[in-house]
Amino acid sequence: MEDVQVVAMLVRRCIAGDAAAWEEIVQSYNRRIYNICYRFAGSADDAQDLTQEVFIKMYRTLTSYDPSKGAFVTWVTTITRNLLVDHFRKTKQDRMTDSMDSTASDHEDAQPLSEQIPDQSAPPDAHVRSREVSETVHQALGKLSPELREALILRDLQDMDYREIATVLRVPEGTVKSRINRGRAELARLLQRTYRQVM
Amino acid sequence: MPDHTNNGMQCNEFDLLLSDALDGVLSGPGLDRFEAHARACKTCGPLLAEAEAGRQWLKGLTEVEPPASLVNNILASTTGVDTQRLRTTARAQQPRVSWLEHVQASFLEPVWAMVRQPRFAMSFGMAFFALSVSLTMAGVKPADISQISLRPTAIRRTYYNTQARVVRYFNNARYVYEVEAALHGIKRNLNPAEPSRSKQNEHKNDTTQQPEQKQERNYSQTGEQIILASVPLGPSLRDLPVVSVTTYRRFV
Repeated sequence: MEDVQVVAMLVRRCIAGDAAAWEEIVQSYNRRIYNICYRFAGSADDAQDLTQEVFIKMYRTLTSYDPSKGAFVTWVTTITRNLLVDHFRKTKQDRMTDSMDSTASDHEDAQPLSEQIPDQSAPPDAHVRSREVSETVHQALGKLSPELREALILRDLQDMDYREIATVLRVPEGTVKSRINRGRAELARLLQRTYRQVM
Repeated sequence: MPDHTNNGMQCNEFDLLLSDALDGVLSGPGLDRFEAHARACKTCGPLLAEAEAGRQWLKGLTEVEPPASLVNNILASTTGVDTQRLRTTARAQQPRVSWLEHVQASFLEPVWAMVRQPRFAMSFGMAFFALSVSLTMAGVKPADISQISLRPTAIRRTYYNTQARVVRYFNNARYVYEVEAALHGIKRNLNPAEPSRSKQNEHKNDTTQQPEQKQERNYSQTGEQIILASVPLGPSLRDLPVVSVTTYRRFV
């Protein structure tokens, strides 16, 4: 995605006060950061706010970026992930991996998670169906624990390699692989139950 | 995950290889063992299938398009609100050099670098040693230095005291006495008609406003009044050079 020297030059220009260079960085990375935030936080509004916060934090700490310590995209992703963890702790939405049959609340008559996911039975056309499937997967992803979710987002949605993910998450590569395996399996179980009930 | 062994592979090892197998980087005997374990193990087989399914589900997720206003909002919240913030931040990161640091960098550090050289340290040590020895021999004590008054009157008094001490020391020296006595003897011999002390006292008591003879001799040395030495006595003094002796002595 990035040529190290080009990005380093861009960062230097930013630090020197070049507004055009900063705008170039924003244009290059806003989509990626927004997607990470959206997949992790679950809502578009939260993702937009979080993306802005990430860029503000980047803007303030740009001088601390050291190209010799890693790629710029890894640095940006680390900032994003740290901010998402902070946001998660603040909002206390500590949703551990739940079964689709478990209820979201403690009330016995509450709707199970599988019923909270939209009904897939009557798609008007393939495009709408595809969009609804994506929405279902997105919601199922949101039901995973934060550790599994972030590992899946970085690996399967952002195509980062295991070493970069280990750097961002500050865990060994073996742990990253294990989380990815468990996350994928958990996601598949959630979705299989959903579609078994729907179809 | 239970740690069972099937076909020479444990479940933990299977878990570690699962990602590589799904990524397609596992091959050869490793892949054969992996597949054999997946077929035989009741835990790992379903795990492989679920992980593969989960991966496929995630592949179906496409990137979402950020809101059109996102970039503008970001720029507004960073450079837009305060266009100088980045520059200010960058400037703040740079160390501000005060005049003291500037002086230190341009003047003190080169001097300090020179001072740190062994040759300079050795020279300074020798100079300090010589100075301390000299002060010790002169009787200067560090305690005396702290009692020195720097008022002008005190400095002036110290100066005159020191000068008087030096003059007294000079006059009291034995060889000075001897030289002076010899000179006086020579003068007395050369000029026996010099008025006696009683006569001089008479001049001092004279109130006739006439110039004093001695002053005339000392301060108005015209060509006619120069007193030249002559040698009326003995042949040994005849070889001495002709001298004009004038002694300026200041008594304090």
